[in-house]
Amino acid sequence: MADQQNPQLSGFIVERMELGVFAVDSSFNIVLWNHFMHTHSGKSWESLKGTNLFASFPELPESWLKRKIEHVFALGNYAFTSWEQRAYLFRFKHNRPITGGVDAMLQNCTFLPLRDAKGKVELVVITLQDCTDNALIQQRLAEAITVSDEERRKQQELIVKLEDAKNQLYQSEKLASIGQLAAGVAHEINNPIGFVNSNLGTLERNVTDLMKLMAVFESKETELPKDTQRELSKIKKEIDFEYLKEDLAALISESKEGLSHVRRIVSDLKDFSRVDQSGWQIADLEKCIDTTLNVVSNEIRYKATVVKEYGHPPLVECVPGQINQVLMNLVVNASQAFPERGQITLRTGEEGMYVWIEVEDNGIGIPPENQQRIFEPFFTTKPVGTGTGLGLSVCYNIIRKHEGDLIVRSEVGKGTCFRILLPIFHGKMGESEEIEFANSAPQ
Amino acid sequence: MNKGLSEDQTDALQELANIGMGQAGDSLARIWKEFVHLSIPKIAIVDASRLPALIHGFVGDTAVSASRQAFHGGFRGEVLVVVSAKDRNGLANLMGYEGQLDSVEREEVLLDIVNLLGGACVGGIAQQVNAEIGFSAPSLIGEDIDPLDVIHPDQLAIDKALSLEVCFQVENRSLTAHLVILLPNNEVGALAELLDQFLCTL
Repeated sequence: MADQQNPQLSGFIVERMELGVFAVDSSFNIVLWNHFMHTHSGKSWESLKGTNLFASFPELPESWLKRKIEHVFALGNYAFTSWEQRAYLFRFKHNRPITGGVDAMLQNCTFLPLRDAKGKVELVVITLQDCTDNALIQQRLAEAITVSDEERRKQQELIVKLEDAKNQLYQSEKLASIGQLAAGVAHEINNPIGFVNSNLGTLERNVTDLMKLMAVFESKETELPKDTQRELSKIKKEIDFEYLKEDLAALISESKEGLSHVRRIVSDLKDFSRVDQSGWQIADLEKCIDTTLNVVSNEIRYKATVVKEYGHPPLVECVPGQINQVLMNLVVNASQAFPERGQITLRTGEEGMYVWIEVEDNGIGIPPENQQRIFEPFFTTKPVGTGTGLGLSVCYNIIRKHEGDLIVRSEVGKGTCFRILLPIFHGKMGESEEIEFANSAPQ
Repeated sequence: MNKGLSEDQTDALQELANIGMGQAGDSLARIWKEFVHLSIPKIAIVDASRLPALIHGFVGDTAVSASRQAFHGGFRGEVLVVVSAKDRNGLANLMGYEGQLDSVEREEVLLDIVNLLGGACVGGIAQQVNAEIGFSAPSLIGEDIDPLDVIHPDQLAIDKALSLEVCFQVENRSLTAHLVILLPNNEVGALAELLDQFLCTL
């Protein structure tokens, strides 16, 4: 095309433009070598004319470049190289020796077939474009993007962690204050219960004494004048004295029973929250289970029958308030696993250096895909607003911090069994507990 | 491809692709001194929205590498080559690479594959219908990606595409490449016209 337009102009452009242009014949002999190539390679057209490309430039990757050029000869198609994969074809000094930061000119090359009149590829023309400036900008841009992507990813991670921590903190604060509140109330109730109980004892004795006196009075009643007898008999009838005598004793004994029930609840609440005695202690896990069952009995009474299969394992060094919390979570969860009424079985036993507790239900079970996730924080299958999804994750944390393990075994339609493994001995006795989520109730 | 191609035009295109690829395969075999086997190209015109499924259908559930190259001239468009990732290095030493390839060399091989096959196919067709075609430098779509991620139809400015499936094998080195030619809606007419002119000369 060049000679159809203005051969002189075309020739000038090829010779002087800021683009490397050279051409080889099918034997790889150099047939064109422009000014750009001359300046950058230091070798002139006169010195290279007709010489073999690979003999004149032994540093070129011969086998690859030969193939590349052969393909252009054979197929008559363009071929390309890009600085992104191949930094350069010829190692030229780049145009930014001071501020560049790269050691050679980065090049994009195009291989063009030049056909003869019959359409056969006669020459392959190779153009070589200096991409250093663009490449540098692109590289810096890519680096900046990588850095900013990485930072964004880290920020995202932090945001998630922060949210996580905030929720856990909120939850543990809430649970702790519920525990403290319960313990405070329990403490306040203890005083009035004390004097009511003592008064009730006195009242019982006094009533018995009064009754004794009344019996003597009654036995002497016939000795009284008839009028007085009639008056007494009228009043006795009015107040249903016979029933009153029986009822008085019953009232007192029922009140005592009720009061002792209140005392037990208060003492369980205090035991459960352990505000007065937190930290590592030697505890009887079966007692922990009993306390917990008392506290949640209302919650589960109408949903499940509780079966205890205790194996009387040894006492365990633990933070009992927290173990109570785990048990409470597991028992309340189990009670929610039944479509109708079900059975919760609590087992204990000993295995090597560990004591285990199992909380098993015969409820709906957990699908395998969820079993992997139930200990994740915020994983819940309950409707929005019902469960926080923190219960089991808190349990898991507590057990892990006891250096124990919490294992789930479940089959859909058959039920679920949680097994808690706790090491018997820690050597932490007397240390204050440092485990999070103390004094907490289930979610 | 609003109007699409007639049956005659599609047949002609398939034949031209076959001849073009055949000549290219022949030339390559002579350079490589190894037998090159090419299947007869299968041509289909598909809805752009079906392209991900089509590419998945070509290769199945395996990671793929893909590259693209634009062409311009008598008709304009892009050619896409998808190879399954395990085949990627099949041709490397025929292309003059020595030893183990590093990651950028693997990219370069992939770009060369689209350049060779796309050039052979589109260039072959163009040459036979007497159209001048030029190619831009190829670029990488991705390495070891899900076949469904090669093309996102919502990013395409076309509603139909020309799919051309060809199996390219060199003796023991298997390389099954799938080509998809994407033509802008208004370029199909140009191709159809060129095909008609070609059919008239027969």
